[in-house]
Amino acid sequence: MNPAFSVLFFTVLSGAGLGALALIALFDIGAAAGVVAVLMPPRLIALAATIAWLLVAAGLCSSALHLANPKNAWRAWSQWRTSWLSREAVVSLAFMPAAAIYVACWWWDAPPAARAALAVVVLLLAWTTLFCTAMIYASLKPIRQWHTRRVPLNFLLLGHASGALVVVAVLRGHGLAASHWALLAMALFVVAAIGKLEYWRYVRSGQRAVTLEQALGVAHGVRPPAAAGTPPSIMAARLLDAGHSRGTFLTREFVNHVAARRRMWVLAMAWGCGFLLPMIWLAVGLALWQGALLACVACAAGLLAERWLFFADARHTVRLYHGERTT
Amino acid sequence: MKLGLVIDLDTCVGCHACATACKEWNGASAISGPLADLEPYGADPSGVWFNRVRHYEVGAFPATKTINFPMSCLHCEDAACVTVCPTGASYKRADGIVLVDQDKCMGCNLCAWACPYGARELDEVSGCMKKCTLCVDRVHDERLPEEERQPACVLACPTHARHFGDFDDPQSKVSQLSAARGGFGLLDELGYKPVNRYLPPRAVPVVAMDPAAPAAAPITPLAALSRLMARARDALSR
Repeated sequence: MNPAFSVLFFTVLSGAGLGALALIALFDIGAAAGVVAVLMPPRLIALAATIAWLLVAAGLCSSALHLANPKNAWRAWSQWRTSWLSREAVVSLAFMPAAAIYVACWWWDAPPAARAALAVVVLLLAWTTLFCTAMIYASLKPIRQWHTRRVPLNFLLLGHASGALVVVAVLRGHGLAASHWALLAMALFVVAAIGKLEYWRYVRSGQRAVTLEQALGVAHGVRPPAAAGTPPSIMAARLLDAGHSRGTFLTREFVNHVAARRRMWVLAMAWGCGFLLPMIWLAVGLALWQGALLACVACAAGLLAERWLFFADARHTVRLYHGERTT
Repeated sequence: MKLGLVIDLDTCVGCHACATACKEWNGASAISGPLADLEPYGADPSGVWFNRVRHYEVGAFPATKTINFPMSCLHCEDAACVTVCPTGASYKRADGIVLVDQDKCMGCNLCAWACPYGARELDEVSGCMKKCTLCVDRVHDERLPEEERQPACVLACPTHARHFGDFDDPQSKVSQLSAARGGFGLLDELGYKPVNRYLPPRAVPVVAMDPAAPAAAPITPLAALSRLMARARDALSR
């Protein structure tokens, strides 16, 4: 698939924002239930929640940029019965005002019980939005690299890990050690990395790959009669001519080629900036705003690289008809 | 009703007449036309086509076969492109034809991603998704003589490799052709239940080669000349 940058920005930014708000809401609920101790100043949590909300808003705006005909975008709220994209639009429309009120509750010291009640709503909507976003990809059967339960798992884990990093960055940027949140973020990054490794293992394993011969239905007919006494020929197919002299919408959208060296650099950036640098920063624990900003920027760049690979490595069955051996 | 096409891979000669006839009819159609062409006379021309013909070689020498492979929308019974459409622009009619309402499409490309066949192409000028309409503006038009109530691609095919009809009717030509020749759907394993059927190419005849057979006698210049004169005589006497 050709990576669409507006969608990459959308999934990374809103993923982090939704993850951060979900974690803040979860802590709020825990604190109201008396399960976890409140260790953070409310003003800083309010700041973190505001940044998270803005990240989601920026992501949603970015997602509209890849529409070729945005004047009909309002219709995307109509097909929630069948379409994951429509469900995402509906849930995010409910999430944004609910989360805005929730953020306001932190700024203007609403009664903790009311705020915790709203936190339940925000938490559920944030998780549902993240899940719907991932299901847009995971529901597409022609792309085996996307059509797996590992995709929603990865989106949820990476959203929460990067969201936790945003909260830690705000706390440390104001000179707090934030050791509990840092520990949580570290744990989330480790689990997210394991999830991503498992995803890449699954993609490499070639499970459910479709071949050019399957796509053409070669098995249905051209085999020579066995009675002729010739050895069975290898019924391999190859493309002779794609029928068009230059690129088409299909080749531009689906048939991208990534040079191995370039892919390696992007992969290194995904691991280095997306996982390694934030984890080092979380472990070292410098309570400086410069470091916090740097960790967040590195993480965003790394996750953009990770999301770019998610698209670039996705091999749609249309590629078979353009001559590729397997998906 | 389950309207669709039968495409005979055995008789298709890959002339692209179906594709150009489709472009010609639908480019002027009110259903989804015009079909934009980008840089039609430039160095990098591209445009929206509902039907594309690709050419493949199958098998290993000497038992190889060229397969000309026209592909357009297969009008799936379980059309994922309709399911994933967030705006309700994609829909499936009662007669089985899958269409895009150009007034509702927002150009998000998700239906094109959901289609395993590449049947949908975004028109970058109008910003809307376009696809084969099965010539819905021909096949039901009672002002046309009955034999012309068929998709443009079917009418244009010079080898009768394309047939149009109702797969719900077991007596229809398409149902019977498909049953007789083992018609199959593309990528049936994805479960979209494509309606269009492809008739498989017939087996490559195996020519027995006898290494002991004597080589053909060499042709002398005189013999070649007399053959040529005979051909010329034939041609002129017609």
